[in-house]
Amino acid sequence: MSAQSSLLIDVMTNQENTQLTDSPKTNDGRHHVQSLLMRESLLDKDVQKSTETPVFRMLPEAHVIKIGGRSVMDAGRAIVYPVVEALAGCLKTKKLIIGTGGGARSRHVFSIGIDLGLPTGVLAQLALADSLGNAHILGTLLAPYGVVAIPPEIFGHLLPLFITSAPGVIFNGDPPYSLWEHPPALGRIPPHRSDAGSFLLAECFGCKSLTLVKDVDGLCDRDPKIHAEASLIREIDTAELRQRNLESLPFDRVLLDLLDNARLLRSFQIVNGRHPDRIAGALEGKHVGTIVYANPKSRT
Amino acid sequence: MQNDLLTELGRSLLTSSLDDERLMTQTGGPAAVQILPEANVIKIGGQSIIDRGRAAVFPLMDEIVENLGRHKMIIGTGAGTRARHAYSVGLDLGLPTGVLSVLGTFVSMQNARMLNYLLAKHGIPFIEPAQFAQLPHYLAERGAVIFFGMPPYVYWHGNPAVGRIPPNRTDTGCYLVSEVLGARSMIFVKDEKGLYTADPKKDRNAKFIPTITIAELEQLDLHDVVVERSVLELMRNATHRRSIQVINGLDRGNLTRALNGEHVGTIISAD
Repeated sequence: MSAQSSLLIDVMTNQENTQLTDSPKTNDGRHHVQSLLMRESLLDKDVQKSTETPVFRMLPEAHVIKIGGRSVMDAGRAIVYPVVEALAGCLKTKKLIIGTGGGARSRHVFSIGIDLGLPTGVLAQLALADSLGNAHILGTLLAPYGVVAIPPEIFGHLLPLFITSAPGVIFNGDPPYSLWEHPPALGRIPPHRSDAGSFLLAECFGCKSLTLVKDVDGLCDRDPKIHAEASLIREIDTAELRQRNLESLPFDRVLLDLLDNARLLRSFQIVNGRHPDRIAGALEGKHVGTIVYANPKSRT
Repeated sequence: MQNDLLTELGRSLLTSSLDDERLMTQTGGPAAVQILPEANVIKIGGQSIIDRGRAAVFPLMDEIVENLGRHKMIIGTGAGTRARHAYSVGLDLGLPTGVLSVLGTFVSMQNARMLNYLLAKHGIPFIEPAQFAQLPHYLAERGAVIFFGMPPYVYWHGNPAVGRIPPNRTDTGCYLVSEVLGARSMIFVKDEKGLYTADPKKDRNAKFIPTITIAELEQLDLHDVVVERSVLELMRNATHRRSIQVINGLDRGNLTRALNGEHVGTIISAD
């Protein structure tokens, strides 16, 4: 770290002595701008290592909550209204960034899209509409508290403004990967869905916590909806999770990789929205569901 | 919703977890359609080509114009030295990877705009991600479009395992366009003949590699590679675009030959 800091200072000093508009003359025919990474291959492993700097937190007081599409939004009034009430309670003292999943409509459009032979990127683009629909549904119910769904095009750039002006905001939890979604190893379903989008947002903005609100108590050793005898895993890290190789997870599998590469958000909690009081508990840092931690060895 | 309107897969998707691996293996579906099978995706390097200015860019633009009518071209742009400057400033200030991704997007957008003005008299448009729905029309009418190479991940850009520079940059963005559209080819135009065992700009003993598979490349574990490593990772799972070619755009005629399907640089393939 110290060697790197001095390198940065050297570069900054050089910059003061050199007009930025003066491209440093090189013999390689390329016109460079003086910088630490000038003329470097960004794919060189040493160059990559040298870029590890401490990360600034943009919204350290805000909490990100993802409300499940199929698990909560599709379950109807009996489940959604108490969750809305719980969120309203939290909004009195905390700043919330609320993401929504796409649920049954996304699954339906996936099945039609797959049948038509459409690629993963197109499925990801189509699914954006479903989680956005759910964001607007939740936004309508939270409107009395000053919380509405924000259009995805402006959401990221204006988030700090919204979050200081309103008690909370809602976005479609999906990341804007769309046509640029990564093809998955298995099948054709987009791997970065709304859990992943909510995670990536919380990590980028340096938020305090990520809570995934679902319809199960947390992560179980088997799918509790199929196996009544499934037992709850209260906490686990990604290394153990990978080792156990569970066939079904209650969150986007890609979260395991995202968590291990995270610099700021090193855990998240899954809670059961059918016990809405647990949402407030999770925001207060209580252990009320399953907490998944990054592999402690993934960052040294 | 009437259940008999759904396929068996549709019913499974509605009732099971999308993170169930057994279910995921069933979602391969019938063969994926190639959306634009005649189109070629061409990535013009930022640092390698555009930062050289007129000397490198003009001959390449001439070559693109010569190929209008013969080949459909979806042209993506790299970022280059200004992105390196922005990343350096951002890293020093501790900005997160997602914000660096936004900064990189701005630079590749500048480069796309510049190429757009150079090709404007041929009616070639620059499209942003939101305008991709019009891409097929422009391609049918004018034979080429320009887009910025950065994938539009912005604040949602995943961190790399090592360091903090966005790992999915313009090579990745262009590659993913070629894969999702089922394009005919993916050509990376850079300022080296292709892949070498080391950076040929720094190591005189670097050896040229004309063809290689991803598995072989992984085994070599090179310190530096000519395309973003995430392209290689993504190609492993690709349905359509299972190979790419890296060519030297400083040599006149290489792009045309690559568009004609000739092997003029390094071909990296998944199989």
